[in-house]
Formats: sequence, structure tokens, C-alpha cells
Amino acid sequence: MRVREPPHSTTGKPQSARNRFRRTLLRVLVVQAVALLVLWLLQVRYG
Amino acid sequence: MHPINWLIVGGYLLYVVVDGVRRSKGTDRIEGYFLANRSLPWWVVGLSVMATQLSAVTLIGTTGQGATDGMRFVQFYFGLPLAMVILGVTLVPFLHGSKVFTAYEYLERRFDAKTRSLTSFLFLLSRGMSAGTILAAPGVVFSAVFGVDLVWSVALIGVPTVLYTMVGGVQAVAWVDVKQMVLIVVALVAVVVVLLVQLPVDPDDALRIAGATGRLDVFDFSFDVNQTYTFWSGLIGGTFLMLSYFGTDQSQVQRYLTARSVDEARTSLLMSAYWKIPLQALVLLVGVLVFVYYLFQPSPLLFNPAHEARVRTADATAYESLEAQYAEAFRSRNAAARAVADARETGDALAVVAAADAFRATEAEARGVRGEALALAERVTGEPSQDVNYVIPRFVLHELPIGLAGIFIAAVMAAAMSSIAAELNSLSTATVIDFYRRWFRPSESDSHYLTVSKVATAVWGVFACVVAVYAATLGSLIEVVNRFGSFFYGSILGVFLLAMLPGSRAPGAFVGLLVGMGAVATVTFGAPSVSFLWHNVVGAVTVVAVGVILSRALRSTTAPLS
Repeated sequence: MRVREPPHSTTGKPQSARNRFRRTLLRVLVVQAVALLVLWLLQVRYG
Repeated sequence: MHPINWLIVGGYLLYVVVDGVRRSKGTDRIEGYFLANRSLPWWVVGLSVMATQLSAVTLIGTTGQGATDGMRFVQFYFGLPLAMVILGVTLVPFLHGSKVFTAYEYLERRFDAKTRSLTSFLFLLSRGMSAGTILAAPGVVFSAVFGVDLVWSVALIGVPTVLYTMVGGVQAVAWVDVKQMVLIVVALVAVVVVLLVQLPVDPDDALRIAGATGRLDVFDFSFDVNQTYTFWSGLIGGTFLMLSYFGTDQSQVQRYLTARSVDEARTSLLMSAYWKIPLQALVLLVGVLVFVYYLFQPSPLLFNPAHEARVRTADATAYESLEAQYAEAFRSRNAAARAVADARETGDALAVVAAADAFRATEAEARGVRGEALALAERVTGEPSQDVNYVIPRFVLHELPIGLAGIFIAAVMAAAMSSIAAELNSLSTATVIDFYRRWFRPSESDSHYLTVSKVATAVWGVFACVVAVYAATLGSLIEVVNRFGSFFYGSILGVFLLAMLPGSRAPGAFVGLLVGMGAVATVTFGAPSVSFLWHNVVGAVTVVAVGVILSRALRSTTAPLS
């Protein structure tokens, strides 16, 4: 399925913006994984 | 409440209004008033998004839910990070790049005016009422706790909010949100610290005691569409809900339209993705620790002081009898909780299990007595007890040190104000841009629209206050409106998803929206019955499916002509 292209981008430097977004995305995934792990440990240890 | 606490609350209210009005600089055009001239840095937008989503209900109701039901509610937010990532690469570039004022304006460019007007109208309908209910929730609690008339407690929160939102526009809303968010986090962390210091057992034992009642059971992997809070409903249903909320609800979209660039708008959303689950877990943990605290400190049978007074007057004998039973149950439960802590020190695994079993039995007994008291309160007052909403206010006012109680009450006000301000600002934007300018006065001057926008903000503010004051008597009506709101949340998301597919056409989107709402109505009132988190999935999938099929059918019938 094809997806429409956004009307126009205001990012200025698409490559560096994309890299920054990927880095942030990776960090978000790591933080979520850690948060879920802590909650899981809480349940296993005390639940 | 102690005068020093009142002083802190008063000082906070004054600061918010002065700071909000001070931020009105540069809002002499509607682009500045509604979008802060698209000039806000990502961290301001990010904190504003988080503050908008965190309402007084979160600080009062969710902490209370942590105390009575435990941590499992956090599963509701499991889909949020995924939704933010999806939005960052899909809708955000479309909406920010289109230079629109409202999300629905984009739908007219993509489809037609009637799709835009219908979606915007549905937004005004649901958000108009929800602004009132968001204001009503803390208003009702403050009214009962402080013993003041509901009109005054609503006015205390509503009037300053309307004032700075009307004068300063989105710029004031966003910058005030930043300070409010900081205040909320500081208050929550301070309460956790105070709780840990005041508990008579160490934190490890406190968690062990809470865990024995199942309050630390976060994950439920059962796949039951009738269960609201499970891992799967949170991850799948929650993702669709958050996609709808952050992707199509003007109160959220308007936040990231104020960002300097697409990249900053994306990053601001990812900030929520970072912190939402840890923050919600912290909020629920406060509630869990308050539950442990009241195992060792006597608590009232009913936390709602207004209901307690009415029950005591109406049926003193029955209430005093329940109080005596509760006092006895408290003593047994207190001893059992201490036994759980002591058993761990012995290192005997069997003793630990036996102590936990005994504690659970006494907790069930205490819960049973409280259940009877709640039923009595409902019979006497004729109102649902909602006692869970009074657990934290009672704890804050009676157990926290002077000063910190004032900070927490100010934080609850901040949470309410940040949500209401965003709603008023977005309601005004949709009213002026999608209806007034689009249909009635399309070629007026900028200053004319600015004046109308300020009037619209004030009118929506007054409407929210009136709804809030009558919320108790309008209870069933508000529930109907909220249910109606859930019909189209996922369906509107479906229309936006269709907008990103190249072949979709206006009739497909419009008919798809109506069919999607019908599908959600069917699963709400008819069969198969599913929990509300799944409604958004049903709505969005139906709209996309109907829209794609209809668009293809139209293409094939119109192709020979073209």
C-alpha cells in the first residue's frame, strides 16, 4: 500500500533530522524496555 | 487547611495569571494567538503535551485507584510510546507541513468541506462537554473537602484559567504548562519521600505488604476483550486510542503545531513517549504507598467528608456499628501487616506465605466493612460514592507537613488548569477557524478574528464552568455524551489514516466515518460486547476498510468518464 508524501517538510536538513529522530527513537525504546522490566521485577519480587 | 497552605495556593494562582498574561506578547495576530507563530522549542511543546494530558483526575483519581486497586492501570498506557513513534513518522509531518490551524482544516484540503466540518463539530461537541467534566472533578472534591459551595470551588480553578487562556492564547497556555508540569512532578516526588519517611516499616517491607494484596501485579496477559486493563488491550487498543488522541484531537494537535519545525514537533511527542509510563507508575505508586500508610494509621470509614456527615446524620446507629466493626478489622489487619514484615526477617519461606495469607484474609474483612459503608452512603445520599477520589485529598490535608499540603493542592489545581486551558484554546481555534471564518465571515481582518477568538475562549470558559457546576445533576447526560465521544474517536483516526492513502476520495472518507461510528455504536450497545479500549480499533479499521473499498469503487465507475 502506497502512502502519500507529506505536503512539504520544514526540517531543513532531512538527513541529520532523520538521524536525530532515529537516535531519539532508539532511546525511547530503551527507556520503555527498562520501565517495563522494572515493573515486571516489581511484580515478580513482591506480587 | 492551614493558612500557610492557603497562602501557597493563593500565591500559585496569582503567579499563574500574571505569568500567563505576561506571555501574551506577540499574540496580536491569530497565528500568534493560536500557534505562537510556530516558534516554540521542542521541550516547551513536550512538557505542554504532557501537562495537558495529566489532569486533576490523574492526581486525585489515579492515585486513589492505586490505593484501592493497585498498579495494573498502568497497562492502559502501554500503547502510548508506540503511538508517538507512529505519529512522528506519519501524521505529524502531514499536519505540521500543511501549515494548518486545525487538524480538520487539513481534511478539507485532502477531501472536502463537509468531512472537515463534521469532524470539527464532533470535536467541539465532545471536548466542550469534557472541559466541563475536567473542571467538575476537582471542583466536587474541593467542595466536599473544604466545605465550600461547588460554585466557588469551580470558580477558584476556572476563572484564572479562562483569564490567562483568553488573554495570552496558546503561548501563555504552553509556558504556564511548563511551570505546572514541574510543580506536579515536584509535588509527587515530595509525597513519595514523605511517605517513605513516615511509614513504620522499611520500603522493602512496604512493597511486600502491598504485593501480598496483589496491588503490585502490573501485567495481565489474558486476552479477554471484555477486560479493560490487560497487556493486550493496553498495547493494541491503547495504541489506537493514543493515535486518535494525539493525532486527531485538536487539543493535542495544536500543541505540536506550535513547534518550530517538523523535527521539533516529533521530538516533543517522543518526550511524552519517554516519560508517560514511568510518570503514571509513580502516580499509582503514590496510591499504593498511601494504602500501606493507612494500614498502620487509623483512617475514616468513608473518606468523603460530606458523605460521612450526611450518613452520620441520617443513620447514626448503622454507621457507628460499621465504624466499630471497621476499628476491629483495622486492628487485626494492622497486626497481620506487621507479621508480614516480621516473617521476612525470619527467612522462613513457609512463615512468609502463612503471614501473607493471614494478611489477605484481614484485608478482605476490612474491605467488606468498607463496602457496606459505601453502600449505606449511596443509599442515604442517592449519589455514587466515588470515595476513591477522596483518599488522596484526605491524606494530603491530614498527614502531609504544612507547606507540602499546599504545594500538592496547588499541583492538583495546576493539573486541572493545564488540561482545561488547552481545551479552551483548541475549542476557540476550531470554532473560529473551522466555522466562523470558513462559513460566516471568510474575509475579515486579522484583528477581527483575534477579537472573536478571545470572545470564543471566554464563552467556552463560561460554558465549561456552567457544565462543571451542574455536572452532578447532569451525571447521566455527561455519561451519554462521553459514550457518544468514544463512538467517533477511532473513526476520526480512520479518516486521517485514509487521508494518507493516495487513492482515497472524499465520499469514501465521509461515508466511512459514518459507518465507522455505526460499527462502534453496535459493539457498544449490541453484540459482540467489547471493552471501550477496543472501540477505537473497531472504528479506525472500519473507516479505512469502507473508505478504501468505496474509493476504489468510485474510481472504477468514474474512470471511463475521465
